[in-house]
Amino acid sequence: MSATKPVTDADLNAYVDGFLDAEDRLRVEQFLADNPDAATMLADWQSDNEALRAAFASKAVSRPGDQALVTYAGRPVFSTRRRLPAMVAAVLLIFAAGAAVGHLGPRLLNTHEIELTDSEILPQESKNAFLVYASEVRHPVEVFADEETHLATWLGKRLAIDKLKVPDLKPLGFKLVGGRLLPVDGRAGAMFMYEDGFGQRITVLVGRNADNRNTSFRFASADRLETFYWIDNALGYAVTGEISRDLLRRVAEECYRQFPS
Amino acid sequence: MLALLPALRRYSRSLTRSDIEGEDLLQDCVEKVLVHGNQWRGGSFKSWTYRIMTNLHLNRRRTQQRHPTVPIDEAAATAEPEMATDPLENRRLMAALETLAPEFRAVLMLVVVEGHSYQEVADMLDIPLGTVMSRLSRARHALREKLRQENVIQMRRPQ
Repeated sequence: MSATKPVTDADLNAYVDGFLDAEDRLRVEQFLADNPDAATMLADWQSDNEALRAAFASKAVSRPGDQALVTYAGRPVFSTRRRLPAMVAAVLLIFAAGAAVGHLGPRLLNTHEIELTDSEILPQESKNAFLVYASEVRHPVEVFADEETHLATWLGKRLAIDKLKVPDLKPLGFKLVGGRLLPVDGRAGAMFMYEDGFGQRITVLVGRNADNRNTSFRFASADRLETFYWIDNALGYAVTGEISRDLLRRVAEECYRQFPS
Repeated sequence: MLALLPALRRYSRSLTRSDIEGEDLLQDCVEKVLVHGNQWRGGSFKSWTYRIMTNLHLNRRRTQQRHPTVPIDEAAATAEPEMATDPLENRRLMAALETLAPEFRAVLMLVVVEGHSYQEVADMLDIPLGTVMSRLSRARHALREKLRQENVIQMRRPQ
C-alpha cells in the first residue's frame, strides 16, 4: 500500500471535482475517515458545487436574438458594438417597460425593496416587533384575544388575505394575547402575540411578499432571540421568541400547518 | 458559434452580477470572437472563446475598479423568477460570490459550473496548473467562510 503519499489540498479539490483516479480516490477516502474535519469541509464543498451548478443551470439557454448576434456581430457594417441586437433589445425593453408600468405600476417600482424583505428584513422586523411589543404590559396588542374573530377579519382585510386564520398554539402551551397591524417592509403586516402560563411571550409576524415563491424554513438567532422564517407564495412569515429553538421550531411548524397556503 | 452560446451565456452570467451584465459580456465576447476569429490558432474553439470571455471580464473589472459604477439593474440582479433553487439561498450564494476576487471566481466557475479540467483551465487562462489549483482552493475556502458567517441553518419543512 502506498499509504505514504500525503493528501494535499490539490487532492481534496480534485476529489470533490471528480478528477481523481480510483487509487487516489481511495487514498483520499482513507484520509477522510481519519480526519472528520476535512470530511466535513469536503461535504460542504460538495454541496457548494451543487448549489453553484443549480444556480446557473437555468442560464444555459438560447435566446431569440442569438442568431442575429452571431450573424451581425463582427460584420463591418455593424461592428461598432452590437448595433442590431442592441436596437432589438432597446425596442423590446421600451415596449416591455411601457407594458409593465401600465399594468403593474407601483408594484414594479417596489421590486427591489420587496426582494430585500425576503432574506434580511423579515427576520429583522420580526425581532424588532418582538422587542418593542412583547415587553408592553398593558398594550402589547391592539385587539385582544377576546375579539379574535374581529382580529382575523380586520387583519385579513388589511393584508388582503382571504379567510385569515389566527393560528391556535394552545397544544404547545401558548394562548393568544391578541394582534396588531404593523408595517412589514413598508406594507401592512400583522403580528400575533401569544404567551404561555408563565407569561413568556412569542410573536408571529405575517407580511406580504411580492414574488410568488416558497423557501425552506430558515432560522436566525441574535441576542438570545430566536427567529424562524419562511416564505409561502405571496406571504412571508416569521416567528420570534426568547424560548428554546426546539420549542420555537414546533411553533413555526404549527403555524405553517395552520396558515392557508 | 451559435451552439456555444447557451454555455457561454451561463458562464458570462456566473461571472457577473446580473442577467443584463452577463448578456452584455456575452455580446462583447461574441463580437470579439467573430472579429478576431482569424487569430484562433487551433485547439479547442470552445476553450478559446472561454478564454476571450474571461479576459474581457477581468479587464472590465479592472476598469470598473478605477471607475466604480453601480449596476443599474440591481433589482434584476436579484430577481430570478426562473431559478429553481430556493430564492433566499440563491441570494446568499450570489452575495457570497460577489466577495470573491474575479480571478478566483472565474476559476471556480470554469471548473464547477462549466466542467473544465484543471489543465484545460490552465491552458485557457494561460496560467500554471499550480495557480489554477491555488485559486480554486482559495475560492472554495473563501466562499465557504462567507456562507458560514451568516447565521442561518436550513431545515426541511414539516409535512
